[in-house]
Amino acid sequence: MKFQLKRLIAQILIFVSANLGSIGIKTGFCYPFFYCNSCPTATSACPLRALEVGVFQQNYKWKIFVFPLLILGFFGIVSGRAVCGWACPIGLLQRGTGKIARKIKNKPLVRTFASHPLEGKFRYIKYFVLVGFVLLTTALIGFMFTDICPIGFLTGTIPTLILYPGEYVFNPYFITALLIFILFIVLIFLIERGWCRYFCPIGALLAPFNKISYLHVGRVEEKTFQEECLHCNACSNICPMGIDVTKLYRDPECVLCGKCVTVCPKNLIEFRRD
Amino acid sequence: MKQHYRILQFAVIFGISAAFIGMSLGTDVYERVHEGIVEVLCLGCLKLDPKTSTTYTFETANNQSHSPFVLDNISEGIVFLHFSEDACPGCDIMLPIIQDIVSLSFDKNDMVSEQISFNNQTISYFYINIDHATEIRSDALEIYDKRQIKGLPMFTIISLGYDKGIIRPSYTSLYGTLGLDSDHARQEYIEIVIEEAITIWEENRPGYIP
Repeated sequence: MKFQLKRLIAQILIFVSANLGSIGIKTGFCYPFFYCNSCPTATSACPLRALEVGVFQQNYKWKIFVFPLLILGFFGIVSGRAVCGWACPIGLLQRGTGKIARKIKNKPLVRTFASHPLEGKFRYIKYFVLVGFVLLTTALIGFMFTDICPIGFLTGTIPTLILYPGEYVFNPYFITALLIFILFIVLIFLIERGWCRYFCPIGALLAPFNKISYLHVGRVEEKTFQEECLHCNACSNICPMGIDVTKLYRDPECVLCGKCVTVCPKNLIEFRRD
Repeated sequence: MKQHYRILQFAVIFGISAAFIGMSLGTDVYERVHEGIVEVLCLGCLKLDPKTSTTYTFETANNQSHSPFVLDNISEGIVFLHFSEDACPGCDIMLPIIQDIVSLSFDKNDMVSEQISFNNQTISYFYINIDHATEIRSDALEIYDKRQIKGLPMFTIISLGYDKGIIRPSYTSLYGTLGLDSDHARQEYIEIVIEEAITIWEENRPGYIP
């Protein structure tokens, strides 16, 4: 079976398991990925919601705060950001929209942005979203991220409106959240995995683990790589996270999707356990 | 060097796993996430409110009997249950509105049970923050969750109604920010519901046998 097909099956199975609430299975665990616990079919809690509850208005609840960190830490230390590439339903969604994003990535505007020297700096926005919006503002003021969360809108608000038509009305946060959601949709159609690259706070939590994770994607031995690399750049061209794979070494952006591994004609990129 | 690194990796994996299992089994965190986040719907997070309906019903949402603290007070006047939780934007919007209606001032972490006067009628008011309330009070959320969504904030008004020859408690529950845009409209709406509940209670109280 093709490697990418296996990944697709894994993503679909995990999406199904994230929605077992539809048959009454609801747990007290947190997802290790982005999915809203307000979804009528949700199985578990959004880790960001747990983190927010843990620090809300400095009413600290350390157990609820540490619990999602341990879950994310476990997956992070074992496989880095593989959760983003193999499990996250939002990753699955962007896998679909990525096909369009890839088609337009050579359009002048998108190409200018992608090749701009500041593009790399934009990737730090997700750390700002995590520390600033998810943690600091929640601790000092109140919810800000949850109120406008586009993933909550996609996986919580929209399914509720569909499953219970005519039973709900919009509350004061709806319009702002809708606008942010529209921007999110535009982003993921314009830039492949644009949400994961620039804004995802769970990606920000998992990214540092790529530096120390047991499983990661990397080049073969340096000498072999230098001797055999054809410099075809196929690996970098196919990378959904826009990484320069020829320089790849424990890159925090890598979601371990394995596309570079399968595309390399000389098998110079591999999954590594070290 | 590589060997040491591998040992360190496995030590961290083992440490995190042990801490996770220890927390799950040795503390109440699993229940708190389950009961407080997964099972309870934060309506502010959902950016939606259930459509407001003031239809009264006799049957409790989970078919359990009415809460004992409700039955203890319903003879004195209507009972107003105000459900909330710590981390809930909708609850924060509604708290000062309700405090204004019941003329009480308290912190959102407090437990409140007061008999107050509203238009010269007695109302038993209970503020129930499910993160801090006793089990018997928190359980009332499921009993009076008319729409069966466990959405917060929730406001339950219990009066007395005529049901097939007997007078017994009947209730309605309102959710979220009531689907209204201004604090003034929300306050006015709840006050109207309370006034109606008092009228129904007064009509039926003479025939109520506790």
